[in-house]
Amino acid sequence: MTDTTITLDGGRTASAAPAARPQRRRFRFGAWMGLLPFLGFLFLFLLLPTYGVVTKAFSNESGGFTTSAISDVISNERKAFYGSMKVSFVTALLGVVLGTMLAYAAATATRPKWLRSLVSAFSGVAANMGGVVLAFLFITLLGRQGLGTKLVREGLGYDLYGTSWFDISSFWGWVTVYMYFQIPLMVLVTLPAIDGLKPAWREASSNLGGTTWTYWRRVGLPVLAPSMLGGFLLLFANAFSAYATVYALNTQANLMPVKISAGLRNDVGGRSPAPYALATCMIVVIAVAMGGYLLLRKRAERWRAT
Amino acid sequence: MSNLAFNSIRKTFGPTVALQGLDLDVRDGELISLLGPSGCGKTTALRIAAGFEAADSGSVVVADENISNLPAHKRNMGMVFQSYSLFPNLDVASNVEYGLRTRKVDKTERRKRVADILELVELTDQAIKYPHQLSGGQQQRVALARALAIQPSVLLLDEPLSALDAKVRSSLRDEIRRIQTELGITTLFVTHDQEEALGISDRIGVMSQGSLEQLGTPAEIYGDPANAFVARFIGSMNEIPATVVDARAVRVLEVVVPTTRSHDFAAGERINLLVRPEDTSIVAEGDSGLSGTVVSQTFQGSSTDVGVRLAVLDVLISVHVVGSTEGVLRAGDQVTVAVDGARAVFEPAS
Amino acid sequence: MSSRPLRSRLSRIGPNLVLLGALVFFTAPLVSTARQALQTVPMPLLNWNTLSDKWTLAGVRRIFDEENFWPTLRVSLELAAATVVITLALLVPTALFVHLRLPKARALVEFLTVLPYVVPPVALAAGVAAFYRANARWFFTSTYALVPFYVVMALPFTYRAIDAGIKAIDVRTLVDASRSLGAGWVTTLRRAVLPNMASSLISASFLTATVVLGEFTIAVTLAKQTFPTFAFEFFGRDFQGGVALALLTLVMTTVLLGILTILTRPKAVRAARKTDRLAKA
Repeated sequence: MTDTTITLDGGRTASAAPAARPQRRRFRFGAWMGLLPFLGFLFLFLLLPTYGVVTKAFSNESGGFTTSAISDVISNERKAFYGSMKVSFVTALLGVVLGTMLAYAAATATRPKWLRSLVSAFSGVAANMGGVVLAFLFITLLGRQGLGTKLVREGLGYDLYGTSWFDISSFWGWVTVYMYFQIPLMVLVTLPAIDGLKPAWREASSNLGGTTWTYWRRVGLPVLAPSMLGGFLLLFANAFSAYATVYALNTQANLMPVKISAGLRNDVGGRSPAPYALATCMIVVIAVAMGGYLLLRKRAERWRAT
Repeated sequence: MSNLAFNSIRKTFGPTVALQGLDLDVRDGELISLLGPSGCGKTTALRIAAGFEAADSGSVVVADENISNLPAHKRNMGMVFQSYSLFPNLDVASNVEYGLRTRKVDKTERRKRVADILELVELTDQAIKYPHQLSGGQQQRVALARALAIQPSVLLLDEPLSALDAKVRSSLRDEIRRIQTELGITTLFVTHDQEEALGISDRIGVMSQGSLEQLGTPAEIYGDPANAFVARFIGSMNEIPATVVDARAVRVLEVVVPTTRSHDFAAGERINLLVRPEDTSIVAEGDSGLSGTVVSQTFQGSSTDVGVRLAVLDVLISVHVVGSTEGVLRAGDQVTVAVDGARAVFEPAS
Repeated sequence: MSSRPLRSRLSRIGPNLVLLGALVFFTAPLVSTARQALQTVPMPLLNWNTLSDKWTLAGVRRIFDEENFWPTLRVSLELAAATVVITLALLVPTALFVHLRLPKARALVEFLTVLPYVVPPVALAAGVAAFYRANARWFFTSTYALVPFYVVMALPFTYRAIDAGIKAIDVRTLVDASRSLGAGWVTTLRRAVLPNMASSLISASFLTATVVLGEFTIAVTLAKQTFPTFAFEFFGRDFQGGVALALLTLVMTTVLLGILTILTRPKAVRAARKTDRLAKA
């Protein structure tokens, strides 16, 4: 169904291309219909629940609009908020540093050849692992009766549980356990970025008189920076929303997800807006972090294309 | 006075011998191309010169100074890589001045040199652009500018045109040659494209499997190939089975073809005679020559490649005819082909 | 041929230390878990002499004696199966549609598939309670109500896996070729497109199943009985038994992962192996 415009000027005007246009215009609305199931599904099972949370957060016990629930929760649950921020920040920072180091080690390893695939595959599994199983694993290692605890006490003379700062069920215990999925997550996100560091850049820098440090300072780290920063935000969001792991370590942990879940379970009638207000705050924090992550990822990909 | 010399450079990677004792002297101001198929060792030689690989034995000398033990970042050489070597986070000007900053050149001097070199490669108005905003050809020009900005003693180019489109390739090729001649900089150019090598080099080193098969000017490489490998690699060659008569002639069927190149083959030995298409011609029917049938005619613009299948031998050869054969020859015509053996290369019959 | 800077040998010390440290950190918990699950020597009594004592599968066996083990496992498997089916049925057509008919929507769809990240499981559970408890009580009380939310939770991973599978096979050309040879849409999908996406579909399914079988947050918040909630409660009662269950879960996951890796090996490798075998016969 092409239409070639035949003219009397000796065929200097031939137009086969424009024929495609009118067809597309007509179907345009219909084309978007194909997305309907997907959009509908998201609407029902993501959008409506979110709407539910937000409206409940801004309503009082009798259903009217109020911001008092939010402000109450901000003052009452300050500790949980700071607790979550602290865990997320620390595990994200550690995850970025250790994860980048591991990713670099794996990406640049030439012997054995399967090392990189192993690290990559393991990271894919470990990053999604979490939940109760991970907590159990670490309790057997670093709990009061843990194998690791015992080895450290008898081998190095250092009693982890004799100190005031370490306990598997409190802050540094959580951080240690979180590293089990934070580091692999960082590896997953960073490996492509490190692959994107072309060997030619390193060699060109060297050829132009730069040392290893010069290269990293002027090319390597700047190029990796968006990925690393993005990784930090991703890890932060990941830790902030984690629930099962920390709950299994300590059902009374003073962190936001634990408070939300406990609040929901205690409030069978659905009257109290507190857990919903908390959940709304949580969504805001994570939305900001994820938004930053996506923006940085776009920036990093642009450089990888050259 | 900066020449670049390889003295008996030997390099192996595990069981593979990449270079078998390379001896090569690039004279001051000269452009030598290392030409050969992949795996022949040309890139390895270049990287050893740059300092990215260490030779197992032998030495590299620049301006009569042995630099074999000098780390890469202390050798004053400029290198242009095949692709993607521009630092993506720096704009054009910052890329070009990179080497100047490592040499602690002060700001005003840097600015001036960058401006000069950008003018030389005709990219002055792209100075603030980033690599991802430039085309492939522009990126390579920036890479060249960056390598030249440090005023190196030697310029090394690792297949700089291979990743570019055909049209860009030929114009950039000429530009590289122009700049190289203007600056008089000693240059080593690695490529697998013989047209490139023939077009820009003062001399060409044809390599195969770690050894230098022949080193000579483009005309020498083309007209007087040292062996069958070089003969085949450059230009195209016809392969005609023949029998050696004596030191000055061979016989193809009943036709005697005089030859001038010396060879080690004994009388009566069977060989392949390697003859360039332009050393064959279609002659009048009665004249001395080989009979054959016209199979194809490929018009090239200023000449035509006529494919002729030789009778009895059943070998397909290409005859170079100036101009067009349209209307003169038709597929299926019987023709007589004369062979000029003056430049022919001998090869043992397989 | 590999090429390394001249100072390569020295510069590998750091990375190798890192790799070693990672190896220790990531395998240590597995070792301690195995020991705890399979050896009935209490930690204070454990030393070089008692190291080989009392290795037993009793802890593992106690798992199977639990009355809630099989029912909750069944429930979770059903949830996983349902989630996989709905995920594939929803996402494969959508992804194909975006690639073939509506490339302009690509950016939007990719953004939408990242949205579930923004609503963490706890918040999603809160949302389910907030909206559906009031408006669709019948839905809310069923355990199967978890399925669509599991689909949403797994969306970022599964969509990316499916999308990658489509990108890898140049689906546009395959479809055009198939249709130019006379095949209708269904045949094209069945014989030209889906078989070539097999490995990414299997990966996506495996990912989904792992997510569902391990999902604890929403289930416990909405007071549903699934396998992970059973595991948690069991762990509270029987420490060794609970740890044995964790170990069992890990082993099963690894086995499945191994099967998955073998199934999704590039076709060329499999074909080459087959040729080898035929040649040797």
